[in-house]
Amino acid sequence: MTELIAESRRRGRRLAIIDFLGRLLERGGAWVGVAALTFFLVLAAVPGLLVGPLETAATATGDFLAAPDGQHLLGTDEAGRDVLNLVVHGTRISLTIALMSTLISLILGTTVGITSGYFGGRIDTWLMRITDFFFIVPPFVLALVIAPVFVEVLGRGREILGFRTSLFVILVVIGLTSWSFVARIIRSQTLSLGQRSFVDRARVAGSSDASIMVRHILPNLVPQIAANGALVVAGAIYTETALSFIGLGDPLQPSWGTLLSLAQRAGAASAGAWWYLGAPGVCVLTVALGFVLLGNALDDTFNPRRRVIP
Amino acid sequence: MASNGKDSRTSHGIVKVIVRAAVTLLMVTVLNFTLFRVLPGDATSLLLGGARAAVSNEQIEAQRRNWGLDKPIFPNQLLDYMQATARGDLGYSFKFRGQRVSDLLLERLPATIALVGVAQIIAILCGVMLGIYAGWRRGGVIDNVATSVALALYSTPAFWLGMVSVVIFSTALAWFPAYGAYSPGVSTEFLDRIVDYLRHLVLPASTVALGLIGQYVLVARAAMSDVVSEDYMVTARAKGLTSGQMLMRHGFRNAMLPVVTLVTLNLGYVVAGAITVESVFAWPGVGGLTVEALNARDYPVLQGVFLLLGASIVVANLIADLAYGILDPRVKQ
Amino acid sequence: MSNLSQKDTVPLLSVEGLSVEYNVKGIPLPAIQKASFELRAGEAVALVGESGSGKTTTAMAIAGLLSPNARVSGGQVRYRGARLPIDDDAAMRPHRWSETSVIFQGAMNALNPVHRIVKQIAEPCMLNLGMSREEATARARKLLELVGISADRGSAYPHELSGGMRQRVMIAMALACRPSIVIGDEPTTALDVINQAQILKLLVELRSKFNLALILITHDLSVVAETCDRVMIMYAGEIVEDGEVADIFAAPKHPYTRLLIESIPDPAKGKRVLHPIPGDPPTLLRRPSGCAFHTRCPSSLPICTAQVPQLEERGPGRVACHLYSSLTHADKVLARD
Repeated sequence: MTELIAESRRRGRRLAIIDFLGRLLERGGAWVGVAALTFFLVLAAVPGLLVGPLETAATATGDFLAAPDGQHLLGTDEAGRDVLNLVVHGTRISLTIALMSTLISLILGTTVGITSGYFGGRIDTWLMRITDFFFIVPPFVLALVIAPVFVEVLGRGREILGFRTSLFVILVVIGLTSWSFVARIIRSQTLSLGQRSFVDRARVAGSSDASIMVRHILPNLVPQIAANGALVVAGAIYTETALSFIGLGDPLQPSWGTLLSLAQRAGAASAGAWWYLGAPGVCVLTVALGFVLLGNALDDTFNPRRRVIP
Repeated sequence: MASNGKDSRTSHGIVKVIVRAAVTLLMVTVLNFTLFRVLPGDATSLLLGGARAAVSNEQIEAQRRNWGLDKPIFPNQLLDYMQATARGDLGYSFKFRGQRVSDLLLERLPATIALVGVAQIIAILCGVMLGIYAGWRRGGVIDNVATSVALALYSTPAFWLGMVSVVIFSTALAWFPAYGAYSPGVSTEFLDRIVDYLRHLVLPASTVALGLIGQYVLVARAAMSDVVSEDYMVTARAKGLTSGQMLMRHGFRNAMLPVVTLVTLNLGYVVAGAITVESVFAWPGVGGLTVEALNARDYPVLQGVFLLLGASIVVANLIADLAYGILDPRVKQ
Repeated sequence: MSNLSQKDTVPLLSVEGLSVEYNVKGIPLPAIQKASFELRAGEAVALVGESGSGKTTTAMAIAGLLSPNARVSGGQVRYRGARLPIDDDAAMRPHRWSETSVIFQGAMNALNPVHRIVKQIAEPCMLNLGMSREEATARARKLLELVGISADRGSAYPHELSGGMRQRVMIAMALACRPSIVIGDEPTTALDVINQAQILKLLVELRSKFNLALILITHDLSVVAETCDRVMIMYAGEIVEDGEVADIFAAPKHPYTRLLIESIPDPAKGKRVLHPIPGDPPTLLRRPSGCAFHTRCPSSLPICTAQVPQLEERGPGRVACHLYSSLTHADKVLARD
């Protein structure tokens, strides 16, 4: 008998997922978002396969700041490197930083949000005060001030987990400063969920607080986390690009933001080298837009209501 | 927003809001202090850098005592720091030897205010108006185009748009200069200088404005859309008001509530947003100073900027809270 | 209560075969089918029906407040003999509020939350009657007194008033431009029983004082008995019965009317909610063939599935039902599909 129940539950879940995917993909925005993101994920996964190893000043073969032609589809930079090569390799850096920092933010934000909403009282008040601080001060500003200090503490030029110091620091710092948005939403959801009877039942049955939070409340929050996660990624991309642009990135592992910074310093704009500064920018724009559209579509699908912003 | 406007009508509520603002500023100061202390080495080695070797230990000790660095960090140094900050003494720049951080900031502030002020005006005029129009007449070509463009703008880094605009309007078309606030060799005639300044202002201000317009269009549109479907709009139509009268007398005021809040909040953030744009255009404001300080590891200046940004954000939030309390009669005792 | 001796004069309002449909994503959904009735000056008529019956659409059509996606697909409305351009928004403006006004459910957001109530009442006076701000404000204060609200409270905002008081404000506002017809769109639905009684009493007083014609939209028959002379029952966009209140309550003809009256809650039981009639009203998309009610009718005949019954005079009042139609019994029995 229990076999049947378990089996029907599994089937029910599968149907629910299929139904959900169907509704999600009804929205035009979702298609655009998914398409764009898939494209870039492929680029990030196997850059070497597509354009060969990352070109350095030593291995550059082209003219300086040459316009796009048959050999260099996106032209060259001030050291003669192929811009297409740089941009494709930059995909992995930018996307990895954005996704991993979002992961940190989501974990931090969800933990703070659930704890705050579940326990209430003084824990809630103090956690919310801290959250307010991180909410009011934008991640970019905080990162600006914290990152150089972290870089100094960790030591420049080192490699941590495959990242050079500055990039590692950027990743961590964005993660540590972008969680408040998620925390607030999770907290309010937890508050409303906490009123529901299944929480009381679990408590009466003797489950510990932690167990209730993780096994009962958390699964109900997954839709919210997913929808907001996409938006957090978009924000993380923007913040990383901006931080790298003003000089916190690393030219040896150039993200799109770093490329823009290099382009700026090489005077690409005044030289009219639109390919050099255009390509990384278009990539940032596309990926950010893709995540925003996806996030909106997810939000719509989970909470169908008259949405005003498409 | 830290609060939801509900606090700002009662006198008790206003005090609460102000206290919250003060506490945030305090946290900014403490964060500044802590970061500096976390750095390896201390002020002396940071200042001297490579020249450390040339200075004797006694001289260093004397200087440390002079600066109060021999006192315990907590609470003495912290209190000293906070007192100094309250007095307006933000220390001296590493990079610009001998110059006070507060002087540097004040010197660069007007340029940023000019940039941000003009940008906000442009963004409000274009973005809010367009958003209201799009929200009022849902559907139709203008609405769809405006919304799509706004969404794209919202997802684009503004400073990149600045770089693109340099390529188009400066390099290619030569309509506007690309860098700085003044051209070398411009005449000393007041009018000429103003015109020159304005010409230099166009591209950076438009860039900052573009960064804001996306948000404003989307929020104004959403606010107006919500209002349009409210029951009191039906009542207004039933009373015999024309479409224009419904919009101006009933729709506008209600839709403006979230928009005013957004604009006020943005006043605090837009200085931070100007950092990258000033870097692109070498605009001589606080943003440019920040980037220079960052690359030179000029920590006192960075801290001063952080304090300034924190203060402007906190003040803007405060004003937004209070303004909302005034504008929305539902927020009452 | 009413002046039936004025049968020879032109009726104040004459709805003639009116049909209205909504355009929803390209599909036309009929909301009213060939509705016809008359309203005399000073007469109070109730429009009763479940949601989706078309009662609100009918009233909105009369007031010229159809939504932009609604279309008049047939018939017309006459006001004092002249045709009303109900599908022309601009042309209806002079008519609005000065001839026909509406009392919406004030408990919702029908009042603008950021305007003081005296301003909202004065607004149509300035707009339609050309009054100055002072004159309009003075009139607004008088109107507030008329509905039992102290004029000092005029500077209040809507959210500062109780539901009952907001409804009184709506009534004061509706009377501002001395209309001939006042439409009440479920004016007491959101109120508790005590407030409901007070509001209804107020409406009755004001109606006789100003000789207003009243169209009361409601789904609650118990409200009808106290305030109206006539009742029209609507179902699936059609008027199925129309008669004097006393007649309808004493001897309802249409099976739907009968079920409605039987389900009026007993005050002793203390329940206000309508006892549900078995089944659901048809959606606009899938209208049953023949008589729209036949799927839930306890007395349906074979002909009911085939032919739409016409609204005909039957004794006092009108009814649209094959049980009373002029077809012979044999026709009814033989008319299988």
